[in-house]
Amino acid sequence: MMRPFLSLAVAVAAAVLFLTVPAGAATPGVGECMDCHGDRTIEKSLPNGQTVSLYVDLQAYRSSIHGGSSCVTCHVDAKAPHEKLKKVSCGKCHGDAEKSYAGSSHGKLRAKGVTDVPGCDGCHGAHDIRKPKDPAARTFRLNIVATCLRCHKDRAIEQKYNLPDQKVMAAYEQSVHGMASKKSGLTGSAVCVDCHGNHAILPGDQPRSATHRQNIPTMCGKCHPGILEQYEKSVHGKGMRAGIAESPVCTDCHGEHTIAKVGDPSSSVSSRNIPKTCSGCHEKEGISTRYALPKNRFSSYMDSFHGIAVEYGMTKAANCSSCHGVHDILPSADPASTVNKANLPKTCGKCHPNAGPNFAKGDVHVEISPKKAMGVFAVRLFYTIFIAALVILFALHVGLELYGRWSRRKENAPGGKEGQS
Amino acid sequence: MSRADLAAGKVIRLSLLFRVQHLLLTVLLTVLAVTGFALMYHENSLAQWIIRMEGGVHNRGIVHRVAAVLLMANLVYHVFYMLLSREGKPEMRQLFIGRQDIDDFFQSLRYNLGTAKEYPRFGRYGYKEKFQYWGASAGIVLISLTGIMLWAEEFSMVFFPKVVLDLAIVIHGYQGLLAFAVLFLWHLYNVHLHPSVFPMNPSWITGKVSAEWLREEHPLEYEKLKGEGLL
Repeated sequence: MMRPFLSLAVAVAAAVLFLTVPAGAATPGVGECMDCHGDRTIEKSLPNGQTVSLYVDLQAYRSSIHGGSSCVTCHVDAKAPHEKLKKVSCGKCHGDAEKSYAGSSHGKLRAKGVTDVPGCDGCHGAHDIRKPKDPAARTFRLNIVATCLRCHKDRAIEQKYNLPDQKVMAAYEQSVHGMASKKSGLTGSAVCVDCHGNHAILPGDQPRSATHRQNIPTMCGKCHPGILEQYEKSVHGKGMRAGIAESPVCTDCHGEHTIAKVGDPSSSVSSRNIPKTCSGCHEKEGISTRYALPKNRFSSYMDSFHGIAVEYGMTKAANCSSCHGVHDILPSADPASTVNKANLPKTCGKCHPNAGPNFAKGDVHVEISPKKAMGVFAVRLFYTIFIAALVILFALHVGLELYGRWSRRKENAPGGKEGQS
Repeated sequence: MSRADLAAGKVIRLSLLFRVQHLLLTVLLTVLAVTGFALMYHENSLAQWIIRMEGGVHNRGIVHRVAAVLLMANLVYHVFYMLLSREGKPEMRQLFIGRQDIDDFFQSLRYNLGTAKEYPRFGRYGYKEKFQYWGASAGIVLISLTGIMLWAEEFSMVFFPKVVLDLAIVIHGYQGLLAFAVLFLWHLYNVHLHPSVFPMNPSWITGKVSAEWLREEHPLEYEKLKGEGLL
């Protein structure tokens, strides 16, 4: 008779006990946490006098990727009520991310106790974390720029960490990548993390950085594989892979944050700007000497009709890449080069259908010197001397005529030599 | 020559047709020089300003070629006129350079140096005018030929290696500079600043010169006209 009663009593006692025991004694549920943290006014004071809101938006939490778990999954030491909690360790579940983050610029500084660099929550948010695929996520492709710029547009932070200034950041938004994501809403366009990496972000001067020179072609090639393939075969690509640091990578011609379409006049690879971009290296004495390249390519081009026409906005006229190629540039000695002697008629023929093998004889870049272009040099010299001589003879003839008049007038003057007024 | 002209001592030196040809030449050569030198000296900031004013390299080229076509038409017309017309044929004969012109040149030098008593007695055209005329004509022919070669570059490429076109550019440009030097320094001096005409020989506008000037500068012509009873 006692047994059923006893068991009921135990059950009731247990129930009473469970309900009346102070909450801190066991792990609290979300509801209990929200008793305090659902209050919008709850905040704590920092030693420096600032206050931090401790409010948690339950709605946002519930719709976050972690919304199905409970608070203590992350805040493992949480009781109700509680004092300051231990730091949340995302690495408990996201070990890989934590590991690569620890090697990043952000992670290293964070490890030193610097608090104004982003931890996980700095980019992903805290209670409202969403999957990167979720358009509402801070790490959604179209939101990433805004997420990074929260800090990277802040002047104080730029100065403190010697970061590129706002202009560099603003330039991205005007770039072809920035416009594609911001204006056209394309998710395929490069945002910050595509080039810089996400967790493992490092400054470009470190060999492990995604934006280090040696890694740039591969990095750009993630989205532009066809171009990368051409580039790898080119003299520039081969040089780069051979470890020649001054061999150009994508960004040397295209720019970085400023990358613009070829058709955009502001682009460093627009037909108007291409000669300046190429000559950035090819007009340098050192480059020509080290790689045994012909000199004065820029000046001789700019003095040609092509150069003048391009300079004054005739984009139809040939620029460097029209003849030399773009990503597939090869030295003229290479039989596959567009500027190999044998291929010149074809290359010139792209614009000038009548330019055959006969036309392609001789130098294309005319350097006016006795060695390089005797004919042009001689004709120019002849004219210079001829014109100068003629002008001198004119002057002498005029002078002689005036002298004759003057001397005759003196002789004929009635009052003698001083009689003339 | 009208009675009034004779009464005022005026002699016709350039007929209306010649004046029109000369005026065309003046205007067209100026246009060609401005558009051409801007391209030749494209590094100069004034040249760059001129090219901008002309609406860029492309429009500059159109202006240059329109002027060039008119100039060549003027030249062709002039050649036919000089070879075939009643007025042109005798003019042509008097423009040929002969032994006399060379003697005249040296005599004028000696005269001005004080070693010759007489200044050479010129006919209708003296050595200065003949030099000017043939120099300008040869220059325009050469500059027209190279200009056509460069204009019809697609056509030229069939026959010539690139170096020939490179030469054509240099010749075209420097021939222009030569013409400019001759016209600007020599011709303008002779028709504006020379003591016998200062401030201007009016014949390029009115077509007429004074009988007195003709007697001083072209005595043989003056005597010929007088002999024919035209003065």
